[in-house]
Formats: sequence, C-alpha cells, structure tokens
Amino acid sequence: MEGDIKKLPQFAVLQLSGCAGCEVSLLNASEWLDKFKLVYMPLVVSTHKVPDDVEVLLISGGVRNDEDAYNLQRAVRNVGKVVAVGTCAISGGVTNLGDRDEVREVFLSNASRLHLPRLLTKTHPVDDFVEVDMYLPGCPPTPELFMAALLEPEGFKASSIVCGECGRRKLTDMRPKHLTGFQQGEVLPDICLINQGYLCVGTSTRGGCRAPCTKAGHPCVGCRGPSNAFIEKESAVWLENIKRVFERMTDIPPQEIDEALRSPQLSMFLFQFSDYAGGNRRIRSKEKVL
Amino acid sequence: MTTLTFPLSRIEGHARVVIETEGGEVLAAQFQAVELRGFRSFVQGTPAEQMPVIVPRICGVCSTAHHVASVKALENLYGIVPPPLACDIREVLLLGQLIQNQATSLFIFTMPDRVNAESLFHMDESEATRERQFTIAQRALKVRKIGTDLITLAGGQFIHPVKAHIGGMTGGIKREAADGMLADLQEALPMACELFDEYWEMSQALRDRIGTWGDDEPTYYLASTEATKPRFNSNRLRVMGPEGSERATFLPSQFETYLEFEETDYSYAGCTSYRGEVMRANSLARINLTASMGTPRADEYLQRFTHTFGKPAHPILLFDLCRGIELVYAMERAIELLNEDMDYMDTDVAYTPRDGVGFGMVEAPRGPLIHKYVVEKGLIVDAQFIIPTVHNMLAIERALRVAGRRYISPAGINLELEKAVGRVVRAFDPCIACATQ
Repeated sequence: MEGDIKKLPQFAVLQLSGCAGCEVSLLNASEWLDKFKLVYMPLVVSTHKVPDDVEVLLISGGVRNDEDAYNLQRAVRNVGKVVAVGTCAISGGVTNLGDRDEVREVFLSNASRLHLPRLLTKTHPVDDFVEVDMYLPGCPPTPELFMAALLEPEGFKASSIVCGECGRRKLTDMRPKHLTGFQQGEVLPDICLINQGYLCVGTSTRGGCRAPCTKAGHPCVGCRGPSNAFIEKESAVWLENIKRVFERMTDIPPQEIDEALRSPQLSMFLFQFSDYAGGNRRIRSKEKVL
Repeated sequence: MTTLTFPLSRIEGHARVVIETEGGEVLAAQFQAVELRGFRSFVQGTPAEQMPVIVPRICGVCSTAHHVASVKALENLYGIVPPPLACDIREVLLLGQLIQNQATSLFIFTMPDRVNAESLFHMDESEATRERQFTIAQRALKVRKIGTDLITLAGGQFIHPVKAHIGGMTGGIKREAADGMLADLQEALPMACELFDEYWEMSQALRDRIGTWGDDEPTYYLASTEATKPRFNSNRLRVMGPEGSERATFLPSQFETYLEFEETDYSYAGCTSYRGEVMRANSLARINLTASMGTPRADEYLQRFTHTFGKPAHPILLFDLCRGIELVYAMERAIELLNEDMDYMDTDVAYTPRDGVGFGMVEAPRGPLIHKYVVEKGLIVDAQFIIPTVHNMLAIERALRVAGRRYISPAGINLELEKAVGRVVRAFDPCIACATQ
C-alpha cells in the first residue's frame, strides 16, 4: 500500500453463477494488495458496476441465466485482458451435471419465477458469449495460481500433470483387481492411489495445483482439466489415455474402468468432462491456459 | 407507489432488496435471491458415495459445512458411527470454517459500514485513516487465514475439503503439523481480540450515530449447539422462545415437524418459519442459547455482552458482535483440541452401503445445516439441503421493514436508508449460493 494508490493497475472480478470459492481463494492470496487496486468484486467491494479502464477482468462462475449473459457482455467492453477463472467459467463446472435429459425436465419445471432472471437450459462457459484471453482452471484455482495469473503468468513453473506434484510412489508389484469405492477404505500414505485401486485421474490432469487432494489421500478428480497433451484433442483421446494407464498399472477389468468413467454422473469428471464429452466443445489453445 | 431497488454487495452471492412505499408508508420489503444452479435436481441419479465431493461446490464459503454434513448424512444412512478421533478432527474443520467465516463477516463484510468505506481494501484518501485501515486489513486477513489454514490442516484443502469420508477421516493430524498450527493460533489470538475490541468500539460509535441497534422485536431462535461449550458437530436442534425459555428440542430427522418451508415467487430461496413464527439462526441465536462458551477469553466477552445487552438479546446489529465472541471462542477451542494427541488411533471404520434415508447436520456459521438423502440402488433419488440462511429470510424482511419505517416518512426518503439496508442484510450474513443452491 506504499505509494500513490491511484497509480496501481486496476483489476476487477465479475461473479456469475458460482459458489464464490474462486473469490475466497483469491482472498487468501493477499500479495496483490500492494500491486493492484481491486475496483470491483461484489463479494468484498460495494461498487455495483465494472468501472472503465480495468486492466484485468477475472470472471468466475458460469452463465446460468440471462442476467449473467447480459452482465458478462456488458462487463468485457472496456477491459484490457479477460481471464476465465475456475471450472464453472471455463466449462460450466459442477452445474453442468444439470445438462442431462433425465434431470433437465425436473430442473426446468421449477426454474421460472415471476420476478426472477430467466434460467438458461444449461450452464454455459463464459467463452460461449465473449472472447477469453486466458483460462485459469481449477475448482477453485489455488491462491498461488491466482497470483501467477495476475502477476506473471509467463514465469509460472508447474509439472505438466498432477502426478509430477503428488509425491506418491508408483509401485509395479501392487496391482489391484477392482476399483476401490470412491469414498471407501483406508488410504495408505506415500503410495500411488491407482496402486490402491482409486480412480485417480492425476495422470492426465493439468498440474500447477501442487496436488493438495492426492497428498491428502483423495483421488484427483480432474478439476484442472486435461494436460497440454490432451487439451487440444477430442475428449475421447483423454478418456482412452486414462484407461490405458489403468490397464498398465492394474488388473482391474477394462470394462469396470470404462463403466466408471462413463457413468454420466461421475463426479470425477463433473468439473470438466461434462463439457469435454459433449462432442461440440470449443478447442482452447494451450497457450491460453495457465 | 414508489419501488426502491437496492443491489447488494459484501454478502455471499447474488441478491437484492426491493422496498415498496406509498405516502411515507412501507408497503413491502422483499429480500430477493436471484440465482439458482439446481443442485437438488442435478444430483438426482448420483452415486450416493460421491456426494461428499459434489456438495461442497454448493458454496465455496461454506464448503466445509456441506462436506461434513454430507458425510454425516451417509453415515446416518449406513448406520455407522465414526471413531471419536475422527469427530474431533471434524470439529477442528468446523472451527476453521467458523474462524474464516466470522473474520470475513466482521472485517471484510461489515467493518467497512462502520468506517464508511466501500471495502476493507478501499482506504479513505486522508493519510491518517489510510494508515489505520491498512493495518486493519493486514491483521484481518491474517486472522482470517488462520481459519483457512485450520481447514487445510484437517481437511486437505481450504475450499472444497476432501479429508472427511464416510466412516471417519482419511488421516489424523501429526504432532509436528499441530504444533505449527498452534504457534500460529497463539500469535493470532491476541490480534483477533484486539481487532474485535476495535470492532466493538466502532459498532458502539455507529449505534450512537444512528441511534439504534436495529430491529429488536423478540423472536424465536434456532441453534444446534449445546447450552454450555458450544460444539458445532452435534446432532440435536434447540429452539428458544421470544421470552428466552427453551421451547423445543428435536433431531435433524424431525425437521419437518418444526420447520415450515414455503416457496416465494420473488426469490429462489423461499423461507422457513418456526411453526409459522419468525425465527432467527446464526450467531445471535447461538449466543442466546448458550450459557457459557467454556474458554476463558470468549467467556469474558460473553459476560460483557450479556451484562450490556441482557439475555436473550434481540437487536440485529448484535449478530455482528456475537460473531466476534465466536471468533475468539473458535481460536481458543482449536488451541485446546490441537494440544491433545490427534493421531492416536484409526480415524475411520468400515461400512457397507445400503439404501434408505439419511440425515446429517452440522452447525454451520450461519446456523444448523441439514442434508437429507434418499438413496435407492445406491443412487440419490432425492436430496434436500436445509439451509440456515433460509431460516432467517422472514427475520431479514421484518428487519428491512423496521429500517424502512425509520427512514421513510411522508416528507421523503432519507438517504441513510441505503446504508441501513446494507447493514440489516449483512447483520444476518446471508449466503445466497447456499440458500438457493
């Protein structure tokens, strides 16, 4: 907070339909305090409009209703750089689970109220409506990732996949015969979760998060999306790779893996896969993804 | 008729207040939650065991509460009881959530109202106030971070934690990690007390300026913490009547007998009443229902509070002061727990999935949070999320009418109304992402 506060570059956060987890993560990264002036973020600032001349606009949340779509298009008009942060803004996120025939009907029958913004039929990613300069995936991105995106995206060092940051050892002589229940069972420390039969997708998920989930004993659920090796390819390539990893490392019948991966509700992929498996997903250039 | 619309900020989620007035009278005051993602719909068909990963995403501010409530609902359904150590670690998780939330509400959401700033990060232009506010911002963020660090310690990551699972926790807390956290807590506790003292003074100054602590009509209170030593991981709800007597106790599974839910056409949140009566949850409810906190500094603050405002206390701006008492309590209680051995036994028990109905409850910072799951063939066929913010909807709207009557007269609308609307809503610290899901 040294120096003239008015000369600091301005940044803003547009919150669409989401859980505010991204914003909470950003609040834990307080290093921006003396480098940027936060001019708009309804969670913490009482300003009701994105001001002009904003250098960086972070957008969190997905486009769930027509008010989101309107606010989004209005907000990007005069900003330098548009960054889609978090999985909802990038792929529609967890609420894309709602884009299934069997629940869409239930959902929409409850969805329209007299005085309220009209809901869209699905949660859209931000780039369905506006050009995005940079993607910051994660549910939510860690404070470190936020700082990198704001301050020096070029200098950010990370492993290509989560495995590179996890620290658990992969064993050749520990080959499970079946998947361990998603929540079930004791987790051995220091040993790869795939060796223990967990459907962990860290082998193809983008690194940079420093693997907090797998370190804590929970399989990677792929919230950072596919690594650069897969991000510009069709989702089937990503899926096949995951299956090959399990064939190589386990004796779990391929059909069992396939069924688990293709379960439409599988939370493993609720974050990104609903978008990537949709068939007509937008190809995002890896250069734009942090 | 004049319709005044107030956009809201410094709360979690998307909401606005609409006040209708005619000839100096307040005709209506609505608190409108304008977002909806549809969790109840889209979790239908989900394998039940995946719920503890999905439901934290209801809210990034309250993800810990949803994570633990979800696990407890499935344990209830499968008929298992986690080991005592796992329950203690979950308490650490919930204390972390409480610290994070109360610090956020006190310093980021409501303190700017007391110093007339747009945000904690927006300094007045004069050097003197800038300096003071900056040190407040630094200290406030530090205290808040103690909460997120506790969640990381016990839950693996501080937003959408992963370490609670059906049957227990994925692991204990190692002595070395606990000692590091203890040192941070010891350093931050006096800082939190100092900030709370300043906050109390600022609140008193605000009261002197505006001449009121807000809507003080006696009402019902709902909490799931016990009368002494409030634990945020209990399994029983209590109701206090307007005059201060305990009116009911019930289990999460009995919620429909006591809590009446109603949809409204102007809000995706709906509202709950206690058998038709206005009730309140959140910090003031817990403090009214608590005889002692069981930790030294929090008890000092509680005595001062009770001595000053009586028991039960009703004015709404006291919610904010109660958050300060709980912030201090949560830090002291976390110190107590982490001084114990948190790595002495297995942290989980085995279970066999089965179908049925399960209820899980925690006391979230905003009040009792209940998850109810109906499971058939291993899949969720219905999931209900009973959200504390919804319990406060009627109370928020009543307090808005009180503020409206104070600042709207036949002579005109006092500009203070806009600030009052913000203060009223923030006193209840509503969470719109949760309330609408």
